[in-house]
Amino acid sequence: MSVEPFNKLVKLAARAFYDDITTKGDNQPKTGRSDNRGIAVVVLDALTRRQWVREEDLAKDLKLHSKQLRRTLRFFEEEKLVTRDHRRETAKGAKIYSAAVAATVDGHPLKEGEEKVKMHTHSYCCLDYAQIYDVIRYRLHRMKKKLKDELDNKNTVQEYICPNCGKRYTALDALRLISMEDEFFHCESCNGELVAESDKLAAQEGGDGDDNARRRRREKLKDMLQNLEVQLKPLMDQLTRVKDLPVPEFGTLHAWEARASAAVRAANGDAGAIDPSKSSQGLGYGGTSLPFVGDTKVEVDFSGTEGKGENIKSETESSSLKVLPPWMIKEGMKLTKEQRGEVKQELRMDGSSAAVEFSDDKKATIENDDKKNIQDEYIKAYYAALLKKQQELDEAAKKEHELSNTHSLNGVSDTTSNRQVGIKSKRDEDEGDDDVEWEEAPVAGNSNENYKVNDLNVQADASGDDEDDIDWEEG
Amino acid sequence: MFFHIVLERNMQLHPRHFGRNLRDNIVAKLMKDVEGTCSGRHGFVVAITGIENIGKGLIRDGTGFVSFPVKYQCVVFRPFKGEILEAVVTMVNKMGFFAEAGPVQIFVSNHLIPDDMEFQSGDMPNYTTSDGSVKIQKDSEVRLKIIGTRVDATEIFCIGTIKDDFLGVINDPAAA
Repeated sequence: MSVEPFNKLVKLAARAFYDDITTKGDNQPKTGRSDNRGIAVVVLDALTRRQWVREEDLAKDLKLHSKQLRRTLRFFEEEKLVTRDHRRETAKGAKIYSAAVAATVDGHPLKEGEEKVKMHTHSYCCLDYAQIYDVIRYRLHRMKKKLKDELDNKNTVQEYICPNCGKRYTALDALRLISMEDEFFHCESCNGELVAESDKLAAQEGGDGDDNARRRRREKLKDMLQNLEVQLKPLMDQLTRVKDLPVPEFGTLHAWEARASAAVRAANGDAGAIDPSKSSQGLGYGGTSLPFVGDTKVEVDFSGTEGKGENIKSETESSSLKVLPPWMIKEGMKLTKEQRGEVKQELRMDGSSAAVEFSDDKKATIENDDKKNIQDEYIKAYYAALLKKQQELDEAAKKEHELSNTHSLNGVSDTTSNRQVGIKSKRDEDEGDDDVEWEEAPVAGNSNENYKVNDLNVQADASGDDEDDIDWEEG
Repeated sequence: MFFHIVLERNMQLHPRHFGRNLRDNIVAKLMKDVEGTCSGRHGFVVAITGIENIGKGLIRDGTGFVSFPVKYQCVVFRPFKGEILEAVVTMVNKMGFFAEAGPVQIFVSNHLIPDDMEFQSGDMPNYTTSDGSVKIQKDSEVRLKIIGTRVDATEIFCIGTIKDDFLGVINDPAAA
């Protein structure tokens, strides 16, 4: 929907037809200073750069007095170029409008904080492009028709004028006007001899109705018609250009506001843009809340589309995995085996198991708080010992690992251990506990234990290997 | 343009007409009243062609007159803008000429007379071409086009033009 050709049309029409329109009241003396011809063109031009605009704002922008502007706009409304809308609204309602303006004319900061509850009548105006197109076409048609009719005297009703009293008659009155005495028409009121108003457009020269005058008149009309064709050619060209274009339609003020604010929300993208303050404003304003509550947006992504297909697939896989928490996975479940192999799934698993662990950890921390101090010292000593032990275990585990075929179980433990890597930092305190447990029942294969080991091992490079080995053992 | 339409009218009949000729009396009075009148809506009533039905009479209080609702078929003539008519010239003057097509009066102003026709005043004012081959005067028959109508409640007046192809004098009595 491009507005540009239509704007050009409006500008051309403004210059062609409204160039010397003055909106001064007739009673006011026309001094040079108050001569406001050309204002109409300025206003129309300004409107082409806007959509719906509050008239006060427009007046401010044009540095015009609002009364003067309103007079001009009223004139255009009568000319059917402009649609106007008036409504009583609070400052809040006005804000809705400014929000809409901000959406279309970016860079208008929203004025906040004016909290007058007073109702004001605000007027808005907007170009009505569809109608403008028709109005201009009709105007051109009428101009041409009038000249052409005049030119070959077709379909024109002759008018007669009384030179004495200025009363006008048309040929339709002819029957009443004939007098018995002579062959002229006579005025009904003063009995003066009527003169044919030989033409309205060309200046009257010399004798009425005689051949010479008629011929001169015809020439003049021909000239006028030619001038019309030449001078209005750009306008007519623009009309033909615009003919097949879709007319820009802003709708009513209200619809436009709704659309504009919806657009701004869409532009912001995030759902947060539908801030509650705005929607509450909407509710406050005349009860017409609907447009401001936020549009329901439904986005349907078809998984079949090429580009996104893969991502979606992996996600669904992981989600399907998520359905099976680690504790549900048993040895027999071969189905999930391949999936577990995938990185993504592992991450997912980590997440879910982490949650489980967290709760465990919390309990543990409570218990551990008192022990903490003791543990801290103990841990250091313990780790030294543990490292050695793990290395031993490592070797043993490797041997065992080769023996043990239960791959599925291994997978599970793998993932849990990975997750622990992420969580470690918080768990330091727990380590003591775990370690103790570990020592007591290393076979239990508690995941907590494992991760604690990792934490401690951060400094020790071998930690990764150690974990894995231990997991294997658990399996 | 002519139309054949059905109209309705309430006929007031004096009691003296009551008798076995009641119906004939009603029709006769209807024709006398209606034919030749003009209504803005339907045009001139040219002739009554038949009676559809005559309703029950209603005796008026006080007068003894009886009003019968009568439905009748009639031919009406209503001129329209753009219509081509043949008319007889009734008056010629400097401003143009008047013509009649049946009941309708038509005025053709001198602007709507072809440019090559000049007004000749005299005993028989007329419009004549420069070579004198065509002359419009009283009682000439002309074909003209209606370009405007003025329709009042009881009167229709038209203005016409002969400044177009195939318009103008169709039968000159002087030549005949």
